[in-house]
Amino acid sequence: MFQKQKRWAEMGIFKKQVIINAEQEGLKTLVMPTGVKDVITFAGSFLGGSLFSPETNRKIAPITAAMMDKGTLSKDKYTISDILESVGAELNFSSTRHHVQFAGHCLKDNIETVIQLLAEQLRTPSFPDEELTTLKTRMVGNLERLKEDTKQQAMISFLRSLYPQNHPNHRLTVDETINHVKSVKKHELKRFHEKYYGLGNLIFAAAGDVDPIQINETLGNQLNGWGEKKTSLNFKGLKARLNKENETKIEIPEKTSMDMYLGQAVGIDRDHPDYYPLMMAIYILGGNFSARLMQTVRDQQGLTYGIGSSLAGVSFGSDGYWSTWGTFAPDLLDVGKNATMEQILNWYNTGVTQEELKAKKTTITGSYKVSMDSTGGLTAQILSNAEKGRSVEYLDQHPDTIRRLTLDQVNSAIKNYIDPNKLTFVAAGTFTDE
Amino acid sequence: MKAQLQIYMSPKNNQLFPGFKFVKSSGGIEEYTLQKNDLTVLVLEDHSAPVATLMVTYHVGSRNEAIGYTGSTHLLEHLMFKGSRNFNKEKGTAIWTELQNIGAQINATTWNDRTNYFEVVPSEHLERAIAIEADRMRFAFLRDEDRQPEMTVVRNEYERGENSPFDVLDKNIWATAYLAHPYHHSTIGWRSDIENISTERLQEFYHTYYWPNNATATIIGDFNKAEALALIKNYFGEHNASKNNIPEMYTEEPEQEGPRRTVVKRAGQTGVVGVGHKTQEGLHEDTYAFQLLGKVLSEGKTSRFYKTIVDRGLATSLLMYDFPLKDNGMFITYIFLTPDTDHQTVEDIVLEEYKKIINGGVTKEEIARAKAQTRASVAFSRDGSYAVASALNEAIAIGDWTFYTTFMDHIEKVSTIDIQRVAKKYLVEEKSTTGWFVPKTKKMG
Repeated sequence: MFQKQKRWAEMGIFKKQVIINAEQEGLKTLVMPTGVKDVITFAGSFLGGSLFSPETNRKIAPITAAMMDKGTLSKDKYTISDILESVGAELNFSSTRHHVQFAGHCLKDNIETVIQLLAEQLRTPSFPDEELTTLKTRMVGNLERLKEDTKQQAMISFLRSLYPQNHPNHRLTVDETINHVKSVKKHELKRFHEKYYGLGNLIFAAAGDVDPIQINETLGNQLNGWGEKKTSLNFKGLKARLNKENETKIEIPEKTSMDMYLGQAVGIDRDHPDYYPLMMAIYILGGNFSARLMQTVRDQQGLTYGIGSSLAGVSFGSDGYWSTWGTFAPDLLDVGKNATMEQILNWYNTGVTQEELKAKKTTITGSYKVSMDSTGGLTAQILSNAEKGRSVEYLDQHPDTIRRLTLDQVNSAIKNYIDPNKLTFVAAGTFTDE
Repeated sequence: MKAQLQIYMSPKNNQLFPGFKFVKSSGGIEEYTLQKNDLTVLVLEDHSAPVATLMVTYHVGSRNEAIGYTGSTHLLEHLMFKGSRNFNKEKGTAIWTELQNIGAQINATTWNDRTNYFEVVPSEHLERAIAIEADRMRFAFLRDEDRQPEMTVVRNEYERGENSPFDVLDKNIWATAYLAHPYHHSTIGWRSDIENISTERLQEFYHTYYWPNNATATIIGDFNKAEALALIKNYFGEHNASKNNIPEMYTEEPEQEGPRRTVVKRAGQTGVVGVGHKTQEGLHEDTYAFQLLGKVLSEGKTSRFYKTIVDRGLATSLLMYDFPLKDNGMFITYIFLTPDTDHQTVEDIVLEEYKKIINGGVTKEEIARAKAQTRASVAFSRDGSYAVASALNEAIAIGDWTFYTTFMDHIEKVSTIDIQRVAKKYLVEEKSTTGWFVPKTKKMG
């Protein structure tokens, strides 16, 4: 009945609406004007995440990123904050495993001011001693709090079981991380900044009430002359440990709900031809509320508030993992684990059905449209896609990639990459017995 | 922004829709009443993205509960997904499946003053969302065989909340601050009520409150207004208005006559301090001054608490909230302590900062900054159909959806004198409830 909406569905929206500058001086901007009024959401990144830290201290990269809003050579922290807050803008810096990221939003009238500040913060941070001391104190406090987080503790242990040290998917223990934070020195941050912060692979994405010419010109002016860094990803040599049956229990006192992780390494990354078939298989098992795990373990049996399954850790050449996560009351953990295993075995033994595949294809292709509802969703999609070195057309083609999957591909992926006899199981919380 | 303050009493272009009575418009949003049953309908067309959001807000929340059936609004919300006349597993049309298979974002939330159900859908599927919401408004199954497994699901939700020191402390502060009024208990309810509430009691609750004349249907996004209203009339128009009046919640909280304290001791790693003060009802004019005061105290690195607490390494972070509620609310500051910080030091700083504002007010620069921050957040509350619907939902809950569209105009009128006045009036010891989460020194795994 809605003719206009049919037109939307047939458009290659990203190809038509995202305006890309020529990659000049190691900078790529992708700007998507939308119908929203007055607001702009932006995000960007470049290589220099925690994996680029020296092996002896993985927190150098994240702390360098966290110091970006603590002062520049010409502005202290309060001056920076005042410029942003006086126009209601936000600008935050963070670090992922692979990238330094920045993200924010502002009203369209203030975009030049915010970009000028962003460039200054990235180019000339001052790393004040007292700010570093306070930041480390706060980070240690947050890390101490993680020790009582049942989900985080279970996840850290799960990934440590699957991956060796220095693999991109490995995680440090909380105590190891605290030690790294405490030992970070100012000169290490300055050295890291000098080595990795610059043009070369910088991406800037924005969506909303945005003028692409203004964005490109402002960025070009502000980043002109910033040194180019020849950073590249090179983590492909490290592989997961061999899967084996493995069980770990982490006792955290006086917790009323437990977190469970169950899964294994799968040996492929996002660019492997079997990635989408396997992703689809796992989505049918536990990708959303109407997937098998939520429909059975939660909806029919009432054993959990939340349970799901996903394929993760597959970006930038990493061999990823399949995990199933769930929460259970301590006295229902064993029952919950058994109910989960029953579903996993059924999924493994008999595969998924044509009907399930058809339904989840429309879920994923519909979700693609729904994710365009806000400038935040659009910006995140554009940046994530560009970080992987893909063209914007890839985003438009994504629904077709999903539609082309066959039942045989999906069920073969389960058999080829899942081994229910070699699962790693971790539970964290307050155990009721033994 | 000025245009938003105006509330129009006739429809744009004098456009009329059969079966609907135009009520008013504000900020581009139009209100209609479905004449058959008094369902309130809000519509805003926005074709920025191929997406539409449908939200049905029922004017019932944990505020409408009492001892023995706390948490029943929330448990009922869960049961509303278990099937209705036309959308159920037996017919192969289960609600989650029908909506998630088209890529919709779907969920429901319960809070003090309202319960809302929403679907963010590719816009060609708006009809399906309307059909489902209309069907479960009056024809939800609410079977005992569904309640039993759902009770343990909700109990696990409660248990997960109890894992969090913040959640536990927040519940304790509200329970201490409110003695008579139902804001005393949290939306999730008390554990024993979750476990023991009967299916019959939940059905009674449903048949008391789930009627078109106690609900607002909001449609935002990429749709044609005439077509969407026709769908609303077609599906929701099946229902009659309730025969009985919707019961009013009449319990008033007695005046608080002195400071109150609560302490929670549990295994944990770091402490939390919460300082709350009772405030006005959400639609009171003082709400706007408090919204700005909250920003002066806690938003951004130039805020007072950031400088005096976080920047000194005394806390990892802080959280302040003063959500406008239907009845009197709370202005609460939570401080998450760093390992070597003691609770009293931080509590004293919070109270000292309040005293400074009571005695000296805030500066012109501070209020200008707070207004700019609010201006931007109001603009971003229009970023996407769900953002608009979500913001409207909270305004509907407190009793007037134009609270959302006129909010910025009221904010612009707030002066430094207003902020000092509300601080003097409300941030006083007699109205305070202070809570500490104190970690017991147990070795963690």
